[in-house]
Amino acid sequence: MAEIIIWIIQILILPALSPLCVGIIRKIKARFQNRQGASIFQPYNDLWKLFHKDEVISRDASWIFRFAPFAIFGATLAVSASIPIFASFLSNNFTGDILTIIYILAIGTFFLALAGLDVGGAFGGFGSSREMTVSSLAEGGLLFSLLVLSFVSGTTNLFSISGTIDSLSLASLLPVVLAFLGFFIALLAETARFPFDNPSTHLELTMIHEAMIIEYSGKRLALIEWASASKLLIFITLGSSLFFPWGIAQSLSLSAIIFGILVFLAKALIFCLAIAVIESGIAKLRLFRLPDLLLFSFILSIIAIGLTI
Amino acid sequence: MFETMLSQSTFFAIMALFVLGAITALFFRKDDKLANLASSFFAILGSLLGIAYSIAAINSDAAIFYEIKSSFPLLSFNFNIDHLAAFFIFIISLISLFCSIYGIGYIKHYYGKYSIGGLGFFYNLFILGMLCVVTASNILFFLMVWEIMSLASYFLVIYERDKQENVKAGFLYFVMTHIGTAFIILALLLMYKFTGSFDFFAIKESAGSIPPLVKDIIFILALIGFGTKAGVIPFHIWLPSAHPAAPSHVSALMSGVMIKTGIYMMIRIFFDIFTDIPIWWGGVVLIIGAVSALLGVLYALTEHDLKKLLAYHSIENIGIILFGIGSALSFSSMGMNSFAILGLVAALFHTLNHATFKSLLFLSAGSVISKTHTGNIEEYGGLIKYMPQTAFFFLVGSMAISALPPFNGFFSEWLTFQALFEGIRSMGAAYRWIFIFSAGSLILTSGLALACFVKAFGITFLARPRSEHAKQAKESLFSLKFGMAALSAVCLLLGLFSGFLSGIFNNIVRGIRLFNGYEPAFSVSQSHIININSGFSSLSAPAIFVVLSLAGIAALAITRLLAKDQKVKIGATWDCGTDLGPRMEITATGFSRTIIMIFKGILKPSKQAEIEYRDANMRYFPKSRTLVLEISDVYRKYFYKPLYNFVLKISGQVKKIQSGNVNAYVLYIFTALILLLFFAV
Amino acid sequence: MTDYSSLQSLMIAAIFLSAVLLHLTKKNSSAILLYFIQSLAIGILLFRPLAENFSLIILLMAGLTLAIKAVIAPLFFLRLVKRHQLKFSASTYLNTPLTLIVIAALAALTNSRIFSHIASIEPASQKILSLAIAVVLVSFFLIINRKGAISQIIGILSLENGIVAFALFSGLEQSPALQIGIMFDLLVWVIIAAVFISMIYKQFGSLDVTELKHLKE
Repeated sequence: MAEIIIWIIQILILPALSPLCVGIIRKIKARFQNRQGASIFQPYNDLWKLFHKDEVISRDASWIFRFAPFAIFGATLAVSASIPIFASFLSNNFTGDILTIIYILAIGTFFLALAGLDVGGAFGGFGSSREMTVSSLAEGGLLFSLLVLSFVSGTTNLFSISGTIDSLSLASLLPVVLAFLGFFIALLAETARFPFDNPSTHLELTMIHEAMIIEYSGKRLALIEWASASKLLIFITLGSSLFFPWGIAQSLSLSAIIFGILVFLAKALIFCLAIAVIESGIAKLRLFRLPDLLLFSFILSIIAIGLTI
Repeated sequence: MFETMLSQSTFFAIMALFVLGAITALFFRKDDKLANLASSFFAILGSLLGIAYSIAAINSDAAIFYEIKSSFPLLSFNFNIDHLAAFFIFIISLISLFCSIYGIGYIKHYYGKYSIGGLGFFYNLFILGMLCVVTASNILFFLMVWEIMSLASYFLVIYERDKQENVKAGFLYFVMTHIGTAFIILALLLMYKFTGSFDFFAIKESAGSIPPLVKDIIFILALIGFGTKAGVIPFHIWLPSAHPAAPSHVSALMSGVMIKTGIYMMIRIFFDIFTDIPIWWGGVVLIIGAVSALLGVLYALTEHDLKKLLAYHSIENIGIILFGIGSALSFSSMGMNSFAILGLVAALFHTLNHATFKSLLFLSAGSVISKTHTGNIEEYGGLIKYMPQTAFFFLVGSMAISALPPFNGFFSEWLTFQALFEGIRSMGAAYRWIFIFSAGSLILTSGLALACFVKAFGITFLARPRSEHAKQAKESLFSLKFGMAALSAVCLLLGLFSGFLSGIFNNIVRGIRLFNGYEPAFSVSQSHIININSGFSSLSAPAIFVVLSLAGIAALAITRLLAKDQKVKIGATWDCGTDLGPRMEITATGFSRTIIMIFKGILKPSKQAEIEYRDANMRYFPKSRTLVLEISDVYRKYFYKPLYNFVLKISGQVKKIQSGNVNAYVLYIFTALILLLFFAV
Repeated sequence: MTDYSSLQSLMIAAIFLSAVLLHLTKKNSSAILLYFIQSLAIGILLFRPLAENFSLIILLMAGLTLAIKAVIAPLFFLRLVKRHQLKFSASTYLNTPLTLIVIAALAALTNSRIFSHIASIEPASQKILSLAIAVVLVSFFLIINRKGAISQIIGILSLENGIVAFALFSGLEQSPALQIGIMFDLLVWVIIAAVFISMIYKQFGSLDVTELKHLKE
């Protein structure tokens, strides 16, 4: 019974908190820019507003355009249920494999790119093109950084990884740190953050993610924005629970669970701070500079693999 | 029921049905409709019987061996149907069933233009040849049916002979397949020389007596020979020209099944006939697989002919299958046969999966091309509104080939990854890096394949039509839709039942001599969870499907909950104030240009720009601009052209013997006679 | 049969000699004459088995062979020569001394150890078999050496005579099939000669093979 409640919390917590995460990042960036900034709960208001607006759909769009937001959001929901957030004693032998979650997220990317192409506008086309370029190159760094953790802990099941890394000695930490650097670069790439993409631009030269969703409106836009925020929180969770799993709940006891949730929130906050600092500190890179960065992430992970085995 | 299915008469009935199909097609060649019906009817019947027979054979444990002695000395028609051969019979029959059903409607486009009887004849002969190739157990018989298969497919490639490029493609295919056959003959003859027999069983018995150096040579020759048929780089140059040239249901068969016969023989020779495997074999195969996969997908990205794009993806997927085979070779040479079984299971599963989704893609492409009368992606667009079912089936195929769950491609790639991961963990220093390179190549390939199919599906079916051709498209006939729908369902089912299928593949692989008696490194639980190496990885195919469906339903429910009363209005796409036209959409060239420029070291793109000005002196206002973007064919330029020039030069020298003078020729005969008499006596 | 061995040796010698002399003729009519002599000798040899067991078939066959080879074929060629006015055969590649040297070499070759192995399949008539082989080789050389088409065809026919002589003495069974084979061969050659020589001459204006190099449209 208790486990069912934990599972329900596990499934709900990520979608619930992801807009907050985005709001915090925006607030920190605003502070860096010497502004007040909107409230950290503003994204919730935005979502509410969007859900209650009518939609305009292009007459050139097909059922793919209508279906894509549900596929994208469903993919993030499916992944949220498969990653360790605050408890590593749960076991998910079905979908909790690193390859599984990477490819489920790829379903989301696939449909997003198709939706961008579906309306036949100029923006959506090149947005999809750029997105597929970045995404295809980032998958390598992502997989290999998670693979380092698998080799260190002897399993590719995410929950078991977080349980094992917790109990590691400091000596074996160097590969984990290197892998984390690689993972962080992949995180920035997959969640469309600086230096890969600017999440608040609508300039033709600079958009990737925003270009694909430029034709969406109303409830579908709300779903996509929410899914994008959830994806960000998913990656933050992967980073915090897999690479730095200290404080994660190892056993089914109330204190451990509450502690686990609090630690998770704290770690997520630190990640948000880091992302916001990076976004305020560096400029977005030119598109043709990005493969170098992604290759760098890939190489870091390979070096880390070389160190583990 | 299975036992009655599994009899010699059933097997020969299958052969007879295809022969009947071929003969009746020729017999009715004057009447297009009858020829089409006759050849398709027998092909469908033969395929159905083939599926039933192969399932029965896989289920039984008996060794099946038929032998027909012939009057020629060393040639006897031996058929050996062990589990591996039965599996390939299954693949051939399954795909040919749906292709034949598709063909009933598709061939109607050729009525009155070309000979339908000829098409039916060669089609049935082709399938018959493939069936014999995977069951032949005698070297001479094998070479006979291999040649029949190649010749039949050659005639099918040049079927639309009015188009000059088809004839050229056919010629290139003809030359390349015979070069490959030459290597195969060398390898098989070497085997004969050192074991003294043409029969595969006898060769298996005395395989130990082949010295190691000769085994290595046979390995290289077989790899090149069968690799040419399978389409590994750098022997692949025939594939992108030949597969598009053939009629679409034949392309599906060629790409989905025929190239797998090369894989079948590789498995047969490397694992069944040879036992002691040196370590470097696995490394070579892995590297070749990695190169084929990566380069295949990169060249696919540069292609704008729909069928050529799909042909390059076949090369990529053969690379993925070679990953499985290479890792199996490496593991068995290190004695880790349990993991070798895993690698080979992954390879076999991917063979089956690729056959299904590649055929599905080719059939959909054929449906599109036959309705729009062009193969160029740049002229498509918006076809999802004119051909919605074809679009849906193509979407299923694209998701399967990009390894997206819950379709079958994901599960075989997952298994391949597991084999590679295990290699990274347990191999020694040098080989570990080959495995890392392979794993990196696989994930990169996977990502690029996803990009390529976003392009293929998106530009073809979505947005607005880019040309008049696309505007006139209509949905295809029922038989085409049925073939495609059935294959899509198969893709999904194969994905759902991955656990069950892995168990079956395990049985198949254990039937191969090298792996007799070994336990695999994975297990499948009651609830369809595939568990690798007692806990390293696990997944459950039905669970993934359920989770994804539930997530989708949840998304719908949340939306319904939160946005009950909102309306949807139809408007125009944002056009920045101008008129919407087809030139506003992205083109396929533009879509993939970014990736091509990133990989320009490998692909070597070239750009040529010409400008014509209104006033040549004051070059301000251009009148016209021409831009030519090209991808140079690296293999043609650096590998084949020098070889070709060299052969031509030598031939020129040899030509001098042919002086045209009769006396000279008789002199040659005379000298030869005397010399022969000298040496014979 | 020792009674007839001297006859056989004589005939073989005649065949060999005529083959050699074919190299030296300049006129087509002399070549045809030499061929006539050769065929006569073969015909006589063919009649030999009749002495042992009189068989109608063999008589018939031998008579027929003689008729075709020695009578019909030379007459036919003579008619051909007259019709197209081909009095002289075209020249040779090698001049006469060299030709004779080659012939001598070939003859020596046949007597060498290697060819004697072949000849030793029937030890009784070993020398005769060697000579038959020599006839074959010399006729071959005739074909190679000559530029005129008629000489080449006669060379082929003399080659065939040599093979028949070999067959006769190598202890093969004297079956009717053998004779029919020989005759059929002859027939084919005669037809070829007739048809092609006429055609070649009409087309090219001469029978010199060096002129036949360029295919006209």
